[in-house]
Amino acid sequence: MNLITLIKIGWRNIWRNKKRSLVVILSIVLGLYGGLIISSLMITLNSQRMDTAINTYLADIQIHDKEFSKEYSLSDTISNIQYLEEKLKQDNRVKAYSKRVVINGMLSNSTGSYGVNVLGINPETEMKVTNVYTKIIKGDYFESERSNTMVVGKKLAEKLNLKLRSKVVIAFQNVNGDITSLLFRIEGIFKSGNGMFDDYNVFVKNSSIFSNIPDLKSYHEIPILTVDGGVTTNSLNESLKLDLQKINNTLDVKSWDEIAVELAYANQMLGSFLYIFMLIVLSGLSFGIINTMLMAILERKKEIGMLMSIGMTKIYIFLMICFETVFLSLVAIPFSLLITYITIDYYSVSGIDLSVVGSGLENFGVGTILYLKLPIEYYFNLSLLVILISSISSIFPAIRALKINPVEATKSI
Amino acid sequence: MIETENLKKTYKQGSLKVKAVDNVNLEISDGEFTAIVGPSGSGKTTLLNCIGGLDDPTSGNVIIDDEVISSYSSGQMIKFRLNNIGFVFQSYNLIPVLTAKENIEMVMLMQGYNKQDMDQRSSDLLSEVGMSNMSKRRPAELSGGQQQRVAVARALASKPKFILADEPTANLDSKSTAKLLDIMSKLNKQENITFVFSTHDQRVIDRARRVVTLEDGKIIKDIKK
Ligand SMILES: Nc1ncnc2c1ncn2[C@@H]1O[C@H](COP(=O)(O)OP(=O)(O)O)[C@@H](O)[C@H]1O
Ligand SMILES: [Mg+2]
Repeated sequence: MNLITLIKIGWRNIWRNKKRSLVVILSIVLGLYGGLIISSLMITLNSQRMDTAINTYLADIQIHDKEFSKEYSLSDTISNIQYLEEKLKQDNRVKAYSKRVVINGMLSNSTGSYGVNVLGINPETEMKVTNVYTKIIKGDYFESERSNTMVVGKKLAEKLNLKLRSKVVIAFQNVNGDITSLLFRIEGIFKSGNGMFDDYNVFVKNSSIFSNIPDLKSYHEIPILTVDGGVTTNSLNESLKLDLQKINNTLDVKSWDEIAVELAYANQMLGSFLYIFMLIVLSGLSFGIINTMLMAILERKKEIGMLMSIGMTKIYIFLMICFETVFLSLVAIPFSLLITYITIDYYSVSGIDLSVVGSGLENFGVGTILYLKLPIEYYFNLSLLVILISSISSIFPAIRALKINPVEATKSI
Repeated sequence: MIETENLKKTYKQGSLKVKAVDNVNLEISDGEFTAIVGPSGSGKTTLLNCIGGLDDPTSGNVIIDDEVISSYSSGQMIKFRLNNIGFVFQSYNLIPVLTAKENIEMVMLMQGYNKQDMDQRSSDLLSEVGMSNMSKRRPAELSGGQQQRVAVARALASKPKFILADEPTANLDSKSTAKLLDIMSKLNKQENITFVFSTHDQRVIDRARRVVTLEDGKIIKDIKK
């Protein structure tokens, strides 16, 4: 007996009761489609979240002084920064970098006060590294000639009732340990797409800090954009990181995913989560498959009895039923993949506008428009999962078929 | 040669024991054309099932060419049936999704024939039962009589020692019945193929060369013409 005959019989058998088979096929199509689309949504959400974080603040690699990374103390600046800058300028893996003064302080006005992270920047170089300047919704990104101006996030502006030109005071511990206060005026308000970031981070020109704190001699943070940056960790970033670390062992060189550990961890978790989720969805479907096949076998008791009578071995009967079961999902898979591909392809360009739930998404760190994407391995792996589960499902009906007695063939009713 | 030795088969129906086959001793030689007859419930099907190894006797033996097949394991029995016995049932003889020719070839595939021999033999068999021109039809596209003719061809495909047919004409009109019997009797005479078939149709009984009559599972008459 060759397998081709069994395959032929199995294949043709699924079309004997078209309606019933189509119901099962359709449910597999929808189950897989739903699973793929949900996977795509989750993956897109997560990667847009990481993109937002990288683009607004993190960049690909950041350099701090080792001590600063522990205490965030104003005095722990990056040492020998000229030499480091020379190296960065020469390195063709570096696309752009900037220098930041970082101050943890209290921002207050007559409405109240909140803890903030003050990022003292040089607007021109910072614009090459991060894109907050494109996210300004009111006012400007440091175009004024005035020295003490500040750009704040929309969230914080709402909480402190800040308008353009409002006055705020920053209080922080100075290099020598004293509490120092600096006055700033609001020049711009931004909305980065990450509510948590907007809530906690404010930008000022670093010149306005240096002029007020003469003791402060250097910078705390150097964000670097690489030529091969983005969400995927890659060897170029990794080698650059190692080379920078070698320059000076007081430096603390970290890639974005080491700084925003929670983002990177969420990304890792997501993969396993999606497979578990699909396993549950598809296990539900397998009950439908099993039920349909059991019905089909009961209807064909006499036929199966006849096959046993004329000498078909148990293993062939078993395989025949298995093939038939698996074919149901094999028919469904291409359809699911096709409609998934079409859907994702469409929304990868036009995007899904989620402004209805937008504010929630923003707190999560994602813009309101999702440009769907799905890595090719998800199509592949989830299809394999469907085949695996239908193969397992096929065992039950196939075992049931083996219990049929050959004398069924001779029963007149 | 088929022999049965004190063959008994009892079924329990609730508390009642039904002796479907009751102490049957029967010898059927090669080349016979034998009818097992008797009213409904007399044990014809049960007897044929025991001879064909589809059912285990309660006691006694079935011996085919000196082999006690009633002692075979189910795996051995399946193999024995494939290579030694051709079956024709009252209905559901064919796989609905295969053509007439494919149905015949399936048995040979199970036996491991090569493609060429298989093709040749299935064509020959179809022509022997007068079905050459319908080889590509599926069972649903054939009449009951035509289906039974394909079933006979299918039964012959494995070159069995004998063919067991349980009421092969029960669903056929008289014309188709006559035609099927013509074919069976031709194969019996020309190719010396042994046929054992059950029936309660008088016209079929008339064509048999030996008639074994059952009543309540016992042989009450055995007439050789
Ligand atoms: N599976 C079974 N269970 C219980 N009784 C059965 C079974 N098969 C047959 N019988 C009984 O055995 C007797 C013989 O049946 P059967 O061999 O089918 O007779 P026939 O084929 O001559 O009509 C009948 O009384 C029938 O009711
Ligand atoms: Mg009967």
